[in-house]
Amino acid sequence: MARHPKDRAHILERVQALGGLTPGVAQQVARETGVPEAEVYGAASFFHLLASPDTKVRVCTGLSCQLGGASGVLAAARAAGWPVEEVSCLAACDRPPAVMRERDVFVEVTAEDVARADGWASLTSRAEPSLDWTGAVGPVDADPDTLAMNLLAPPRYDGAALARSLELGAEAIVDRIEASGLQGRGGAGFPAHIKWRGVRQQAETARYVVLNADEGEPGTFKDREVMLRRPDLVVEGLAIAARAVGADDVYLYVRGEFGAPWRALEAAIERLAGPLDGLRFHLHAGHGAYICGEETALLEALEGKRGMPRLKPPFPTEHGLWGAPTLIHNVETIACVPGIVERGGDWFRALGRTEPGSKLYCVSGHVARPGTYELPLGVSLDELVEAAGGYVGTLRAFSPGGASSGFLPASERGTPLDFKHLAKAGSMLGSAGVVVLNDEADLGFAVREQLRFFEVESCGQCAPCRIGTRFLREAVDQYRDQHRDGGKPRLRQVAEAAWEMNEGSICGLGQAAPLPLTTVLDNFPEVFGADPD
Amino acid sequence: MRIQIDGRDVEFEPGETILEVARREGLEIPTLCHDPRLDPAGACRTCLVEVDGWRRMPPSCATKAQDGMVVRTRTERVGRHQRALLALYLADHVQGADACETGAPCELHAMAAKVGAPTDWTPLEPVRVGRDDPNPYIEFRADRCIACARCTRYCAEVEAVTAISLVGRGSKTTIGTVDASSLLDTSCELCGGCIDTCPTGAMTEKRPLLQLAPPERQLEKVRTTCNYCGVGCQLDLNVDPATKKIVKITSPPVGTPPNDGNLCVKGRFAYEFVEHPDRLTTPLVRGEDGALREASWDEALDRAARGLMGVKERYGADALGFVSSSRCTMEENYLVQKLSRAAFGTNNCHQCAAT
Repeated sequence: MARHPKDRAHILERVQALGGLTPGVAQQVARETGVPEAEVYGAASFFHLLASPDTKVRVCTGLSCQLGGASGVLAAARAAGWPVEEVSCLAACDRPPAVMRERDVFVEVTAEDVARADGWASLTSRAEPSLDWTGAVGPVDADPDTLAMNLLAPPRYDGAALARSLELGAEAIVDRIEASGLQGRGGAGFPAHIKWRGVRQQAETARYVVLNADEGEPGTFKDREVMLRRPDLVVEGLAIAARAVGADDVYLYVRGEFGAPWRALEAAIERLAGPLDGLRFHLHAGHGAYICGEETALLEALEGKRGMPRLKPPFPTEHGLWGAPTLIHNVETIACVPGIVERGGDWFRALGRTEPGSKLYCVSGHVARPGTYELPLGVSLDELVEAAGGYVGTLRAFSPGGASSGFLPASERGTPLDFKHLAKAGSMLGSAGVVVLNDEADLGFAVREQLRFFEVESCGQCAPCRIGTRFLREAVDQYRDQHRDGGKPRLRQVAEAAWEMNEGSICGLGQAAPLPLTTVLDNFPEVFGADPD
Repeated sequence: MRIQIDGRDVEFEPGETILEVARREGLEIPTLCHDPRLDPAGACRTCLVEVDGWRRMPPSCATKAQDGMVVRTRTERVGRHQRALLALYLADHVQGADACETGAPCELHAMAAKVGAPTDWTPLEPVRVGRDDPNPYIEFRADRCIACARCTRYCAEVEAVTAISLVGRGSKTTIGTVDASSLLDTSCELCGGCIDTCPTGAMTEKRPLLQLAPPERQLEKVRTTCNYCGVGCQLDLNVDPATKKIVKITSPPVGTPPNDGNLCVKGRFAYEFVEHPDRLTTPLVRGEDGALREASWDEALDRAARGLMGVKERYGADALGFVSSSRCTMEENYLVQKLSRAAFGTNNCHQCAAT
């Protein structure tokens, strides 16, 4: 048996250090840690960066990378005989197509780059040879006083916000968070102060703060940009949160594909070492699993287990990491904290238009300057795309919040992109990863790719999601291949399966997974014919 | 403390789940991943119920009853959920009960019929991969697996063995061993508890499959007591009604004392001695010529008694010693010491499990 639950937390990084799940590795890690070998193997097999160690090159097949030519790169790599596989979104939708060589992500890779390389190990991108690339951010002419994060400003390492928070005291900090109206920026939009108070009121004194930097929703790359450009905000925000809820240990779960953001966070923790005195920061790498962006799946992965979401309630505020009260937030949510502490909740609240605060919108697909734009929460698609240099072609459809938000028609271009209005439109703001499709895009293909994404990334724990994602994807494939097998019943099956996925799934992945198909059936009936049986 | 379930006011003990309270009241809620010996997983989703004031339907197996809670298990929403869920399960399964249930039974088909689930949803491409495993007893059939993890949880929580684990992710999630090795090369003790807890026959006995024996639901069950040790585990001989031979041994339902559905490798799999040609079925005594011949029990017991009494007469009672076997029941052990002390007058008696 493992000597302490925390010993188990390192089994996945040990498997990585030993080169992934090759024969004998799980047994070795089991011997080192006391965790049963079947559990080491089962946990590691969950994460695709560990489970297929022979794959050296991974081509992103997220929707934006597909629009940017990923299939040509994939075909070239296959033709070259490389050990290559498709991979779910690499969070580089603004600079497509992205390719990962081992754990290094290159962007704007072309088929010529593949042809030019002397074997997979020497693949680079001619357009962007650096691994420390960043994306476009804006708007460039914004008044800094209207931005909660301001990605164009240089990082600050004076620890001023943390010092201010110590003057204010814990209760006043949480009051400011409440006054700011800050909603979780990871996708759910849950009021942040409720979590903070939830942790503070627990009797248990061992508490943790966890950073969710497992950004992976297709179309989303804002957290990457925050960590690269303003890691100071993230680290300081975490420190403020830890002081406010009474935690001494902060865990940062950074997706395994984020080498450069990891280095940026590490450096920021180093530079803020003085003000952070007494707090322990622990960096943990993810190993390839979108579902670990779900907060309880992330906690499981941190504990060295398969990343399967927990049943809720209880929520992490009460029963989180190792069962202790845990405050867990998305990168952007945390990055808003220093500004709120320094300038007040009312200032932050007023930055928004229809809902509080400024918001990082990621925009990719058919726009002139894909990138991350900090705008008042509640701008319309047209305003966002204007900041991004305008549409390329004629707008047909857009996905306002990543794959989980489905597709909305051009007629919704004026709808405020916020939590409330998009929910009313049958979609969601989610992570605000906006993907724009013009009238040349194959919407049926787009649906198919989003469904495949959920199928691949489902954790497999509950049947509605595990089976339903595959059921919908196969139904669409059969339709698109013209192998239609019967009339109306198939439509009824798809509708019923989608309903069941939403009602029966344990977590948000399965609940939202049918949206790419159901929103297109609703909003674009022509895509699958009048009767997509 | 009281809750209301389907209009019935029910008292409950703190800590009880909705499912436990409902079942105690005789209300049926379907389950697949539930086994009372295990911590609830809430993963199969068949037991979702409506709770007034809750937006989402919680799994009754994992949700504790709370005072004043109003639970509904028979609503249109619950019914629709059960039908669609079972239709999905069936689409991802071996089609048809007869083709599916060649070994241990599968609860899916009857459950689907009971909730009125459509059985005509387009079957999916099989994606789960099994593994070749030369172990002689346990067969895992990935195409019947619903990844409910009862087997892996049983292996960890009840047996504390953890030879198997959920492996892979998404639709390819299956049950595996470290490096896909044979169970013989793992910590597996071949207790077969994974077979017992599996609700779909994905885990099943290998030997009956190789012998092309009839499926379990066509076998006659004969309850008996395991004779391998003194615990007295109850087990069911599964007898082929045509040949009257034992096809396999299963454990009685969970809750049956003393073994609560658990068995060990001997109790579950070591039954071939019953039909073995070397097995003695009548007593043998040695004749004048020194060769063994068949005898009646009376004759054999007389012979044994004479021999033992002869030793006592010649050398005294303490020249005798009596050792009984762990395979004997407590009553049999009692009788052996009675025989030793009262009949022969010696305290030289021992039992092989005593140290």
